[in-house]
Amino acid sequence: MSTNASKVCLLGDFGVGKTSLVARYVRNTFSDSYLTTVGVKVDSKEVPLADGAVRKLVIWDIAGKSGLDALNMSYLRGASGLLLVADGTREATLRSAVDLLLQSRSLLPDAHAILLINKLDLVDRWEVAPATLVELRKSMTVIETSARQGDGVEQAFREMATRLHA
Amino acid sequence: MNGPSVNDRISPELERQIGRLLFEKMQPLLLEFDRDWHLVNLHGDAALFGFAPDDAATSVQQLQDLFLGMPMEAAIDLAFVQMPNGRNAHVHLMLVDGGHQVLLIDAQGEHDRQQAQQQVGNESFLIAQQKDKAVRQLRQIRSELESQRNRLQEANALKNALIATLSHDFRTPLASIFGYLHLLEEEPDAPLETRNSLRALRRNANYLFALAENLLEYARSETRSSLLAPVVTDLQMMVEDLDQMFRVQAEDVGLGFSITLDQEPGEPPILDELRLRQILVNLIANAIRYTQSGSVRASLAWRGGSLVLSVRDTGVGIAQEASEAVFVPFNRAGNAGNGGAGLGLSIVKRLVQQMLGTLEFESKLGKGTCFRIELPDLTHLVQKVDARAESEAGQMLAERASSVLIVDDDPDMSHLLGEIMAGVGFRVRVVADATRAVEQALADPPDILLVDVELPGLSGNTAVFRLRAKGYRGHVVTISATPTEEARKVALNAGANQFMTKPINIEQFTRAMLRVRRLD
Ligand SMILES: Nc1nc2c(ncn2[C@@H]2O[C@H](COP(=O)(O)OP(=O)(O)OP(=O)(O)O)[C@@H](O)[C@H]2O)c(=O)[nH]1
Ligand SMILES: [Mg+2]
Repeated sequence: MSTNASKVCLLGDFGVGKTSLVARYVRNTFSDSYLTTVGVKVDSKEVPLADGAVRKLVIWDIAGKSGLDALNMSYLRGASGLLLVADGTREATLRSAVDLLLQSRSLLPDAHAILLINKLDLVDRWEVAPATLVELRKSMTVIETSARQGDGVEQAFREMATRLHA
Repeated sequence: MNGPSVNDRISPELERQIGRLLFEKMQPLLLEFDRDWHLVNLHGDAALFGFAPDDAATSVQQLQDLFLGMPMEAAIDLAFVQMPNGRNAHVHLMLVDGGHQVLLIDAQGEHDRQQAQQQVGNESFLIAQQKDKAVRQLRQIRSELESQRNRLQEANALKNALIATLSHDFRTPLASIFGYLHLLEEEPDAPLETRNSLRALRRNANYLFALAENLLEYARSETRSSLLAPVVTDLQMMVEDLDQMFRVQAEDVGLGFSITLDQEPGEPPILDELRLRQILVNLIANAIRYTQSGSVRASLAWRGGSLVLSVRDTGVGIAQEASEAVFVPFNRAGNAGNGGAGLGLSIVKRLVQQMLGTLEFESKLGKGTCFRIELPDLTHLVQKVDARAESEAGQMLAERASSVLIVDDDPDMSHLLGEIMAGVGFRVRVVADATRAVEQALADPPDILLVDVELPGLSGNTAVFRLRAKGYRGHVVTISATPTEEARKVALNAGANQFMTKPINIEQFTRAMLRVRRLD
């Protein structure tokens, strides 16, 4: 098995845009219609890094839930990175993302975690307050993204790849 | 021994048989790898899962990626994995001597069923959340608007009351000033100096008077209490009056002044005399104010059922770009410093409109301005004014009488509908189930019945059917979450007049409801 490949899982409440983020990153596409994910879809992409190395990300797009059940736990095994995704227009999904991170810690104590707040293009409808993000940033990396317009998407995956490489 | 025997082990032969059966039924794909993930064997329908046997490398790599980071010392089960070709499978990794086997079992059907269920669940959750949010926002906006409107109304009422009081209060002292002026002017032997002083007094009193009248008119029009008052109008007397009022004033500043009347014999005109007078006072006063030299000439012509009046001056003129602004209250279009409250022309324009007339003007900067106004005779309007007031009252009565009964078990929805209907003037009642709806609608029949189809217990359609069967004749609008032709037919057959589907477009809905009321 190639040593510079890493498994990264997307976790978050349903409808927050996990599938859309992967579609934007891997295939540079976006669709407005919502088709919920059942189980898991695995994609991969090679990320060239600053020092000339290449890291392959094996990206797991997991069905959205507000908490971790046994099925989702089984998908997490072996992951070294977690992208927690929340939807800025639904404050409750941010709480889910934080809960999911805490629950996954027992299984993956050392995984790198980055929090993505998605749907940046709808920022005028965001329920998540800027002050909340300021607080969260004190304890983890937070990146605002838009799968629709692409903002922050490349940056988020690259950041993850860089950390996994270090 | 009766009954079946319970055995915790089945015979190896039976187990093999069952295994074969399941294998045939479930069409699995079994891939055998050596320790280094080289594919050594493959059983089953490889194409189903997108495995091209001749280009196995890519597919194998993808399969291998699934186990990245996992300890390869025990069997691994991964349910519902989407294969690169889009097919869903359950994936099982089994360890065998010298390598491992991967078993793929088709899970597409199971996946699709679960997805359909999950889709409905997720979407309805999201919609409910959005609806909550919309209702909250609507309430917020409403209450903000309400308090804003209250503040504005208060401020406006205060302003109008103040203006009206002030201008009223001006009238009494002005009346006495004019009285004494008259007495003093009658004095035959007054010295020239005194007479000049009296002229100055009259000039200023005139001005003050016009100002007060304008303010009063302004306040009145704001409170919309200005109905036309058509009366038989003596134009000759009005012309004489105005001549007396303005001749002195014009001559004092060295201007020529004339006011003429051209009236064909016959029926005297019926006009709103006070308003007409106010128009002329404003136009002439304005003309004198903005003319340094030359003349101000006013003319009135009564012919063929309409009055044409014009006021022409040789004054400063109005710039092209200011031709709209001169009609805006308190805007003096760059002529600041010439006195006046800037109400004159705005009031003239409004008065002309009220009298159903037309106004136009021509002007050249530095050369002068000519206003031309045409006012129709108001005879035919005497009845119409009354008729209009009556029909307005009738409409208000109808509006007050409009009532609606909302039947919905979702309190947010019924609240929203209630707000909308109340917002456009309906009397609103709400019930949450069909049985109560039937009772209420029979006890006190509403003009409109808004009924949700999906109710607990008796359906909305049943309620409508029962009501129609008992003779209820109001307008029935059925609202349903099912946007199908079938649902529509059922609702209309049950006796609804209109069928609407959720989510409701508030604007369309409101318009439809207002239309119903108008049809009544
Ligand atoms: N405006 C906007 N819409 C987005 C964005 N990302 C996703 N969406 C929309 O949000 C909906 C849900 O997106 P998905 O990517 O399917 O969400 P998910 O997290 O994969 O959902 P589950 O699979 O059910 O867990 C879709 O209608 C997307 O079009 C975004 O950045 N902006
Ligand atoms: Mg998804």
